[in-house]
Amino acid sequence: MGAVHLAHDVLDAQLVDRAQEKIGRVDALLLEIEAGRPPRVATIVIGGAARAERVGRWFVAIRRAWRAMFGQREEHVSRIPFDKVRRIGDTIELDVEERSLDSEHLERWLKEHVVCRIPGAGGERK
Amino acid sequence: MSARTVSLNDLVGRVVHDVEGRRIGRIEELEAEIELEGDGNEYVVTRFGVGRWGPFDAIASGLFVPQLVRRIARATSYVRYAIPWDCMDLTDPEHPRVTCAERDLPRSSDG
Amino acid sequence: MKKWSEVALGVVTSIGGFLEVGSIATSTQGGAEFGYRLAWVLLLGILSLAFLMEMTGRLAAVSKRTYADLLRERFGYRFFLLPLVAVFVVSFLVLASEIGGVSIALQMATGISFSWWAIPVALLGWALLWRGTFGIVEKGTALLGLVAIVFAVGALKLHPAWPAVGHGLLPSAPSENRARYWYLAVSILGASISPYLYLFYSAGAIEDEWTIEHLGVNRVTAGLGNLFGGVLAVAALIAAALVLAPRGIRVDRYEQIAMVLASPLGRAGFVLFLATLCITCFGSTLEIVLAIAYMLAQGFGWAWSENLKPGKDARFAMSYTVVILLAAVPIAIGMNPLALTNVSMVATAASLPVTVIPLLVLMNDGDILLNHTNGWPSNIALVIIALLSVVLLLAALPLQLLGGG
Repeated sequence: MGAVHLAHDVLDAQLVDRAQEKIGRVDALLLEIEAGRPPRVATIVIGGAARAERVGRWFVAIRRAWRAMFGQREEHVSRIPFDKVRRIGDTIELDVEERSLDSEHLERWLKEHVVCRIPGAGGERK
Repeated sequence: MSARTVSLNDLVGRVVHDVEGRRIGRIEELEAEIELEGDGNEYVVTRFGVGRWGPFDAIASGLFVPQLVRRIARATSYVRYAIPWDCMDLTDPEHPRVTCAERDLPRSSDG
Repeated sequence: MKKWSEVALGVVTSIGGFLEVGSIATSTQGGAEFGYRLAWVLLLGILSLAFLMEMTGRLAAVSKRTYADLLRERFGYRFFLLPLVAVFVVSFLVLASEIGGVSIALQMATGISFSWWAIPVALLGWALLWRGTFGIVEKGTALLGLVAIVFAVGALKLHPAWPAVGHGLLPSAPSENRARYWYLAVSILGASISPYLYLFYSAGAIEDEWTIEHLGVNRVTAGLGNLFGGVLAVAALIAAALVLAPRGIRVDRYEQIAMVLASPLGRAGFVLFLATLCITCFGSTLEIVLAIAYMLAQGFGWAWSENLKPGKDARFAMSYTVVILLAAVPIAIGMNPLALTNVSMVATAASLPVTVIPLLVLMNDGDILLNHTNGWPSNIALVIIALLSVVLLLAALPLQLLGGG
């Protein structure tokens, strides 16, 4: 029938990009509601801030304070339009590239500033 | 033309009432399908899976023991509705309401 | 043919994997204080672990996702935080204990105090993870871990009275020292049934690209591997019962555990004990820190694999880096390794419900397991293990206070 179960199959599913690389999980899903029309599945949200909201307001506050300690004030969250979804299966394939995603910021930062400074880190497979 | 953006996380688990103010159950699932009009690339929600688990409702209505006995007598008291999107009023996302009467709602075979 | 070599590898890995600082410490303490009477607890632990590992292995082979993946996907982020935090905290304690085990072995070998060894050991472990592949970690620890067979040799040389051992394999309860007995029972179960073991096993099945064709391999590996490994732990208990118990020695330092092999096997026994302690604890160090990093990466959806260079999975690599270095701190600042081990074993036992109970749901889900869901024998075993885990949770704190010694 082609019906997608949003809570069961989309929320918390593993996301992969065009190159089949893992780019996080569906941390939140945004719907657009307009009277007289069916709710539209609008946006996939990936990011720590979205996860924190699911825990509760108190957790969001603690997280904000913790990050402020390290001078982190910006949130690195990716909002991807749902029409970028190519396939929904065991994983959800998105028509995006990892390097365009703000939610992958920490991965890129760590790779550049820490990991690649340590010998033996580069290249593809071991 | 006021479109509201709501997070799925905020909808799942919300208690749903019908026009008569009766508690139907909680939103458990949203089913979406590709919309055939437009550029055929959008998913829209077609049905809401709203489930009611008897024992919890019995506790809520204060007639716990007799209801429990009656419910144990039946195999399971779980009821699941598959509510079409146009029967679900989400103008206030924190208080979803069904615009049809409970007896008219289609039951689902899942769950 | 290839399948059989995989089976052999899996079995061998589990042999060394079962025996590590926790089982060495708890089995020998059990044998020293209660003779053979706690052997049945060990058997219960071995069987439970075998079932749990077979299940998480089956989950991975059929659904192509690890147990940690499925915990997030099927139960949602909020619920996932519960096992995540519990496993992280408890595994961290065990990890620190394993580093302690290696450090103590090195102290006994060189005379240099154990606290000096903690950081070098952690650094060596880190280097192996950074540069090595999953295969190297798996095969290396497996083959070297075979040195643990020395416990079986030692126990046999002591000529145990087999009928008495058989008696110990049947459940019994003592009439005196009850709190201490049950405390040791709980710690033996915590040492045997460790969440990091079945979480790591599930991730390992994905690293090794298992499919539905591997379900037989999975059953044999989980079953036989733990059986053989468990036999070595029972051997340690027997040896302690015959060497330490008659002398009334209650174990409170690792040096006393060495006697268990030094007595029947002399100098060679002592050296092989050190080698076993060193190697099995080091292997477990790598396994535990990977298990923690796997759970974080899989739960949050990061790229992960021991077969990828760190540059391709930076968050995963930094997770194991930070965790292994932090875990060296307790031992580096001089915490008593044996005390740390004992506490971590009881904590592990108490944490079991959050990683056992979800399996009741997952292993019966036809969407995930297709037609390989649990049959009734596995479900009965799982329900028993789940009930056991709840009992352990309730009993852990009282017993730690009453019987912790």
